[in-house]
Amino acid sequence: MIAPVGYALVAFVVAAAVATALLRDVLAAIILFAAYSLGMALLYTLLLAPDVGLTEAVVGAGVTTVLLLLTIAETVRPTDGGALERPDPRAAVACGALAVVFGLTLPDLPAVGDPDSPVIAYERVTGYYLSQSYAETGVENTVTAVLAAYRGFDTFGEATVVFAAGVAAMVVLRREVLT
Amino acid sequence: MIVEQALLAAAAALVVLAAAVLYRAVRGPTMQDRVVAVNVLGTNTVVILALLSAALDVPSFLDIALVYALLNFLMAVAISKFTVDRGGVM
Repeated sequence: MIAPVGYALVAFVVAAAVATALLRDVLAAIILFAAYSLGMALLYTLLLAPDVGLTEAVVGAGVTTVLLLLTIAETVRPTDGGALERPDPRAAVACGALAVVFGLTLPDLPAVGDPDSPVIAYERVTGYYLSQSYAETGVENTVTAVLAAYRGFDTFGEATVVFAAGVAAMVVLRREVLT
Repeated sequence: MIVEQALLAAAAALVVLAAAVLYRAVRGPTMQDRVVAVNVLGTNTVVILALLSAALDVPSFLDIALVYALLNFLMAVAISKFTVDRGGVM
């Protein structure tokens, strides 16, 4: 029963993505990208990955929109030509080919919650984390335990990168304001 | 059971309506149209999430709906402010 909502959302996301790529005015493209992000986050939530949906909502619709607006404030928008960009045929062919290649891998993906999917069927790794993660780390959510404890250094590195990017953005923006 | 079906049908209908609003966001013609359109899309998303939360009985979806409602406001204000005085996003 969920499927019709999902298909409608996929159509919406694809339409928003194509419109983002084709619109000539960058401000309009940013607005359309925010719409794309809203649909994408909804899709993640529908696939029962609410944390990813939450991240997509905050980063895609919130932070990226503001950062892109700050960026185009320093640039010049083209006023000539129509509302839509005329796509380069070679680029369009390359994008289409990439979409087809990705689409061909879709039938091999296991269904959501499939008990026979390799991740669950290969008991040695998954079973270990599911049975041992609480005893070893004291974290109730297994995904959080893997992220924050088993691969804690990796996550720490990611957090460092995000922090550095945030500091760099602040420094650049501050300079823009001062000059 | 029938209630869940009705809620899911309402969610599907709202997604279809979102496509209609997307047309306004693409077509414009003015930037104000697009800002209002993306704002409606955000509100639409909040309602869809609330409906899905009730239909699938997943209360945690409501948290995401709340975050959306906050972000949607921020996004609309940022873009509106940008169109009024260029560069004044913050």
